Amino acid sequence: MQDLLYFIQQLINGLTIGSTYALIAIGYTMVYGIIGMINFAHGEIYMIGAYTSLIAITGLAALGIAWLPLVLIVALICAMIVSSSMGWAVERVAYRPVRGKHRLIPLISAIGMSIFLQNYVHLAQGSRNIGFPDLIEGGFRFGAADSFQTSISYIQITIFITTLVCMTILSLFISRSRIGRACRAVSQDLGMANLLGIDTNRIISATFVIGAALAAVAGLLLGMYYGSIDPLFGFIAGLKAFTAAVLGGIGSIPGAMLGGLILGVAESMTSGYLSGEYKDVVSFGLLILILLFKPTGLLGKPEVEKI
Amino acid sequence: MSTPVKKLVTAIGTSIAVMGAGHAAAEIKIGIAGPMTGPVAQYGDMQFAGARMAIEQINAEGGVMGEKLVAVEYDDVCDPKQAVSVANSMVNEGVRFVVGHLCSSSTQPASDIYEDEGILMITPASTSPAITERGYELVFRTIGLDSMQGPVAANYLISQEPDRVAVVHDKQQYGEGIATAVRDTLEEGGVEVAMFEGITAGAKDFSSLVTKLRQADVDYVYYGGYHPELGLILRQAQQADLDATFMGPEGVGNKDINTIAGDAAEGLLVTLPPSFDEKAENQALVQAFEEKGEDPSGPFVLTSYTAVQLIADGIEAAESTDPFDVAEALREGTFQTPIGTVEYDSKGDMESFEFVVYEWHSDGSKTPVN
Repeated sequence: MQDLLYFIQQLINGLTIGSTYALIAIGYTMVYGIIGMINFAHGEIYMIGAYTSLIAITGLAALGIAWLPLVLIVALICAMIVSSSMGWAVERVAYRPVRGKHRLIPLISAIGMSIFLQNYVHLAQGSRNIGFPDLIEGGFRFGAADSFQTSISYIQITIFITTLVCMTILSLFISRSRIGRACRAVSQDLGMANLLGIDTNRIISATFVIGAALAAVAGLLLGMYYGSIDPLFGFIAGLKAFTAAVLGGIGSIPGAMLGGLILGVAESMTSGYLSGEYKDVVSFGLLILILLFKPTGLLGKPEVEKI
Repeated sequence: MSTPVKKLVTAIGTSIAVMGAGHAAAEIKIGIAGPMTGPVAQYGDMQFAGARMAIEQINAEGGVMGEKLVAVEYDDVCDPKQAVSVANSMVNEGVRFVVGHLCSSSTQPASDIYEDEGILMITPASTSPAITERGYELVFRTIGLDSMQGPVAANYLISQEPDRVAVVHDKQQYGEGIATAVRDTLEEGGVEVAMFEGITAGAKDFSSLVTKLRQADVDYVYYGGYHPELGLILRQAQQADLDATFMGPEGVGNKDINTIAGDAAEGLLVTLPPSFDEKAENQALVQAFEEKGEDPSGPFVLTSYTAVQLIADGIEAAESTDPFDVAEALREGTFQTPIGTVEYDSKGDMESFEFVVYEWHSDGSKTPVN
């Protein structure tokens, strides 16, 4: 019984982290699906989302507004607006001018953008860790009081529900809306979509904006869950989310969701049953294995060379 | 004054000056190397304030063997590359005694140059054991070692008679070194170490670790590392209702941990060098700092003061300004300083350096634990 409760606890921990990986991974996978490049600055967009929401929360607290749902919604909206504009601006400034060139060029441009944004936040906000206020406290407990109890906190529940809602909205948006249909068309064949009268530049911008908005959601959620943020924390999260995207099949949105969850659970089980030291070994080991044996990822479609 | 007399006076003046210069260079240069700028400049300020005060006071009392001390200051930004170029500048300036550097990673490369060039160096802040492990003759310190701190923490834990203790570290030289020392001492003392595990420095999610600690049902958790990670562990442990007391080395004992951990930092145990400025025998010195508008309470102010004093005492004991003679005098002698009685072993480490266990509070203050 004890062991089962322990297992469930580690599963909950893993799913929590995994669902936020999934939110960030969407940004990688959508951009890759449409223009075939890896947006390495995406982790920084997520970090900026976390900083913006913290600034918004602090600002509201200074104004004396403490009603939690309002604080969260305002913080979320601020973060989404700032991150989305960043995502749009990054694409406009760093990627559009080099689009269609050799594939290494946008990649290097992306890495440069990532370094620029990290250092920009470094300068603007300082390099120290900044604490996030405890907004959502408490949770449920299961199991006998005198032995190990499985706990699920309200913040974990908030993370699950928010992720689920975001994913549902995104799926509906992609499958039902006009822009969503255009997105799918552009991802199948950019040139053809262009000929059929789709404003591909607009669609590509929209992809960056959507990915950045989801990253901002993850920034706020993880900021609250972890408790502190610093200018470099987007980098590792970005790498993990990128791994999740590749694991699920880069270019596939359900794949990013699945990849995020698998990666999160794999990490927490490794720290739970092996040792925390092997956490990153396992997650990046998984990346190498999947690239070796199933380069298209779990749900990815094999790429057909267009002639 | 008529012209011939003026000429005569000038001539006498010049000849005295020439004689003075010829007479053993008339002054002893003390190099002070540490970070004046950069992320740890606040520690550098402590070092410079302490060393300048010592030079001022020694000169006021007539200097060393009748010669004045002169400070030669350089900024190494706590950057290893900069430290090397600072060390070369010291050589070019003809400095033979250096108080510095501050960061272990700067002290290590700079000390290679000092040793080669015959310059005596006393670091007031670098605690890495590796610095004195290379058999250098001219390297000393006025601070303890990481390996001394672990046993102090472990012995305190043993005295609390815990059932089970977990030891966690950040896999870095400093953190893992201290954590290993703590584990070994605990095991020798018959305490069960239920867990010995590393985390990744810079990681943010410790929910799995906290779950594991809860299952291991430990009374105490020792953490070897720095405040950003421990702050998050404390916070996530509080959220998960982990019922254990945390303890850490001086790397976690600064106010930044309060901004990360908030209330969760209350009751954290930290080993730190004792507050030298609170000792009764140092009150005159503390007052001298306060008259200059400087704060003597930082951990490296009085260790830097002591480093200068030891150089002066060493020169007088050796009756020579040759760094090798002074080094020998320092190894042989016993010196009374503001940080207590100093005796050196053959490596240049102090024979004993006290660490004290403090209880940390959520407002950033601390109280000693007996």
